[in-house]
Amino acid sequence: MSSREKILAAVTANQPAEVPLPTVPFFEGDASVEKFTALVQAIGGRVVEVAALAHLEEVVRQLFPADYRMASPLLSSTNVSVDAQTPLAVLADVELAVLQGEFGVAENGAIWLPEENMLHRALPMITQHLALVLSQQQLVATMHQAYARLATVGGYGTFLAGPSKTADIEQSLVIGAHGARSLTVLLVP
Amino acid sequence: MKVALFVPCYVDQFYPQVAIASLQLLEKLGVRAHFPKQQTCCGQPMANSGCEQDAKPVYHNFVDAFQDYDYVVGPAGSCVYHVRKHFDIIEQTPAVQHVRTNTLELFDFIINVLGITEIPGSFPHKVGLHLSCHGQRGLHQANESEMTPVRDGQLRRLLSGLQGLELTELTRNDECCGFGGTFCVSEAGISARMGQDRVQDHVRNGTQVLTGGDMSCLMHLEGIVRRQKLPVRVLHAAEILNGVIIG
Amino acid sequence: MSHSERSDIFLLDAERTTWHDETLWFVREKRDKAVYATPEFQKLRQLASDIKDHTLSRLDFYLQQFEENARRNGVHVHWAADATEHNAIVLGLLRQHGATRVVKSKSMLTEECHLNPHLLANGIEVIDTDLGERIIQLREEAPSHVVLPAIHLKKEDVGDTFHKYLGTEKGNNDPQQLTETARQHLREKFLAGQVAISGVNFAVAETGTVVVCTNEGNADLGVNLAQVHIACMGMEKLIPRLSDLSVFTRILTRSATGQPITTYTSHFTRPAEGKELHIVIVDNGRTQQLGRPDFRASLKCIRCGACMNTCPVYRRSGGHSYDFTIPGPIGAILSPNIDMRKHASLPFASTLCGSCTDVCPVKIDIHTQLYKWRQVLGEAGKLPASKKWSMRLLSRVLAKPGMYSAGGKVARQALRLLPHGLTHGQGYNPWAIARELPEPPQQSFREWYAQQPQNDKA
Ligand code: SF4
Repeated sequence: MSSREKILAAVTANQPAEVPLPTVPFFEGDASVEKFTALVQAIGGRVVEVAALAHLEEVVRQLFPADYRMASPLLSSTNVSVDAQTPLAVLADVELAVLQGEFGVAENGAIWLPEENMLHRALPMITQHLALVLSQQQLVATMHQAYARLATVGGYGTFLAGPSKTADIEQSLVIGAHGARSLTVLLVP
Repeated sequence: MKVALFVPCYVDQFYPQVAIASLQLLEKLGVRAHFPKQQTCCGQPMANSGCEQDAKPVYHNFVDAFQDYDYVVGPAGSCVYHVRKHFDIIEQTPAVQHVRTNTLELFDFIINVLGITEIPGSFPHKVGLHLSCHGQRGLHQANESEMTPVRDGQLRRLLSGLQGLELTELTRNDECCGFGGTFCVSEAGISARMGQDRVQDHVRNGTQVLTGGDMSCLMHLEGIVRRQKLPVRVLHAAEILNGVIIG
Repeated sequence: MSHSERSDIFLLDAERTTWHDETLWFVREKRDKAVYATPEFQKLRQLASDIKDHTLSRLDFYLQQFEENARRNGVHVHWAADATEHNAIVLGLLRQHGATRVVKSKSMLTEECHLNPHLLANGIEVIDTDLGERIIQLREEAPSHVVLPAIHLKKEDVGDTFHKYLGTEKGNNDPQQLTETARQHLREKFLAGQVAISGVNFAVAETGTVVVCTNEGNADLGVNLAQVHIACMGMEKLIPRLSDLSVFTRILTRSATGQPITTYTSHFTRPAEGKELHIVIVDNGRTQQLGRPDFRASLKCIRCGACMNTCPVYRRSGGHSYDFTIPGPIGAILSPNIDMRKHASLPFASTLCGSCTDVCPVKIDIHTQLYKWRQVLGEAGKLPASKKWSMRLLSRVLAKPGMYSAGGKVARQALRLLPHGLTHGQGYNPWAIARELPEPPQQSFREWYAQQPQNDKA
C-alpha cells in the first residue's frame, strides 16, 4: 500500500461521525473610505486621495523621486518594463511598482491583488516601494464580503495589507522586512 | 431547603475560621447549613495528579455524604468545579447527578440561589480581589479578560457594595496565582514565581487586604506574603462579609 | 529532564524571566484589544471551531477533494506517512531539479520533521528567511514559539549574533538596523534560491489552493523568485470552502499578534508558467491523534500562538523548557501523542487555569485535554512512582472520614510542634522554598463544629 492509501485508510478508520458544516453568516460592517483609510494607516501604509484618474501620473511624480526605477502597467512614464519573463536581476532593481488593486477591505486595510495585476508574481514584494491604485467604489466591509466577491482566486493572488514588516527582534515593529518598504494607496474616485 | 456546608480538607485542617465564617454568613443570610461529618475531600489532588481512578472511592464518599441535601455549598471554587465537572467518571446515578448539579460555590449560592446581591456593611480598606481561575473560567463567576474588557463578577459586586471599600485595579485582573494543586510542589519554581508576581501586582497597586473566594489560591498567596513579610492581610471573602454584618 | 527542571534553569535569571513574561503579556494585550474591537469575535470562534470539527469528521473526503483539485491545477501532490518520508520526498525533488540552494519560509511542520538537518547533511544549503527563524538558525537553536520563533532573545543577543555572522558592528543592537542587515543578506539568498519551501496555513479543498500568511513577505518573495515551490502541510490544514477563509483570516492574526490581518495572505493555486508547485501532505502521528476522541480536537489548531502568549507558565519558563517543536499549552497536548514517556511531564506543566482554552480562536479545550492526558499517563504508568503511591495512600485516607480526621490532627500537631527549620526544609518540602506553610490552628473546623451546642451531630 502506498502512503497515500495508508493515510486515507487510517483517516477513514479514525475520523469521528460526521458533524455538520456551518453556514457562515455575512457579518456586515463599515465599508467607508474613512474606516479603510484609518486601517491602512494603522498598519503602516498611507492613503493618498487622487482627484481624478487623469491626475495619477502627476500625483505619483509628486510622491516619489523622479529617478526611481519604476514599473507599472498604469502609467506611461515607467522606465522599467516588467513581464512574467523579466530576469531577476532587473526585478531586483525596481524601486517603485504602481499596480492596480481590485478592492479594499475596510476592517483590515487589505487590498486584493490578483496575479493578472502584478506584471510578475514577485514584483509586489521585490520592489522597494509599492503603490496600489484603488477605486473608492471598490471597498467592502469585512473579509466575508471580500471572499464573496472572489468567484476564483486565480492562479495566485494575495490580500496585501500594508508594507512588509516584522517584530521578530524584541517585539519592536520594523517596517520593511523583505517585501516593499512602503505601501501607498492611491484612492481614485 | 436543606443546605450542607462543604468544607474542603485543607480548609478544615488549616483555615477553620473560613469555614466558620461561611457557616455564620449563611446563617445571617437566613440559611442554616449543616456540616455532614462524613465529608473529607473532593478528590481533586489525586485526579489532577493523573490518578483519577484512585480518587473514585473519594468521589463516592463525597456523594454519600451530601446526597440528602438540596444544596452543597463550599467556600472554594476549585473544589466545587471539580465535583461539577470531573465526577463524570463514576456511574451517573441520580444521587451523583443530584450532587454534581447542586454543589455550588458559596457566593454563587448567595447570589443565584438566595438572590442576594448586596450585603450592607462597611469595610474601609483597599481590597484586592484575587479571582480563582476555576471560579472564574470554570464556573463563570466573573468575566474573563480573554472575552471582554468589562471587569465584573459576583464577588466584585458583593464587595463593591460595602461602604468605604475600595477595590484595587490590578494591572492583570485575572492572571492565575500559580497554586494549581499539586502543581505548587511539582513545578515549585514556576508556581512560586507566579505567586510572587501576583502578590507584586497587588502591592504595586495598593492592596491592603487581599481576598478571594477560593482559599486554595489564598493559602498559596498568603504563604508568599508571610515569607516576604509584606504588609498585606489575606482574608477569605466570607470572613470579610461575615465580619461586616452585625449578627 | 522534566519541564520543571528546565524551568528552574530559566527562572535562575529573574530579570530575564520578568522581561520574557512582560513581552509576551504585551502580545496578549494587543490580542485583547483587537478581539474586543471585533464584536462578532466569539461567534467567529464558534464558526471556526465548527468548520474544523466538520472538516475532521470528513477528512478523508476533503483530502481527496483537495488532491483532485490541486492536480487539476497542475500541482504535484505527495503524501508522507511520517517525517522520514516527508524529508525523503523533499530531498528527492531537490535532487530531481539539481538544486543545492533552498530558501524556506516559516513552517512548523518542517521543524517537526527536522527537515533542515536532513537537507544540510545532504549537501543542500537551506536558508530560513523569516527574520526570527534566520536569527535562531544562525545560533543553531530551535524556535521557542510558533509565531515569534526568537522571542526568547533580547536585541543584544541578536546584535551579537549578527556581529558574529553578518558582520554588523559590535554593540549595534538597533532592531531597525539589524532588520535592514538581514534584509540585504537575505535578498541575495532569495535571488539565488532555486527552490522555495513554504509552510501552509490553510488548504482549501474546493479549489485545491494553499494559503500562506506572512508579515515579512518572505514566503511570497522566495516562492515567486524560485523555479520550484514545495509547500509542506500537515493534513489538518484543510478547510472545505474558499469562503471559510473569511472566518480564519479574521481570527488568526487578531489572536496571534493583534493585527487585523497579516500583511500578505497569499493564495497559491497554480504554479506560474514554466514553474512547478509541489504540495506534500504529511501525517506523522496525526491520524493516530484523530483516533483519540479525547484529544482529536488538538488537530484544529491554526498555530496562532495565543495559548503561549497567555499561558502564565509558558511566559515564565520559555518555549525551550517544553523541549518539543510546538511549545506551550498546545504543545503539551500534542507531544504525548508523539512520545508519551519523553514528554510525560508536559501535561503537568500547567495550573489548569483555562486561559489557553479561552483565548484559543478555534476553541480547543486545551486545559481539559491536559487533565485527560494526566489520566492517560497515570494509567500507562508514566508517573513517577513516588507520586503514584502517595496519591494512592491519600485516596485511602480521604475515602475514610475517621482516618482522615485522625490523620489531619496528627499532621497539624506535628506542624505546630516541630521547629520551623524542619517543617520548612527546602530539600524535601518544595512548598517552603518560597512560601510559609499555613499556621496550623489548634482545632480543625470539624472539631470546632462538634463542640457547638446548637449543632446536631449529623
Ligand atoms: S491551540 Fe489554539 S490558541 Fe494555541 S496555537 Fe493552536 S489555535 Fe492558537
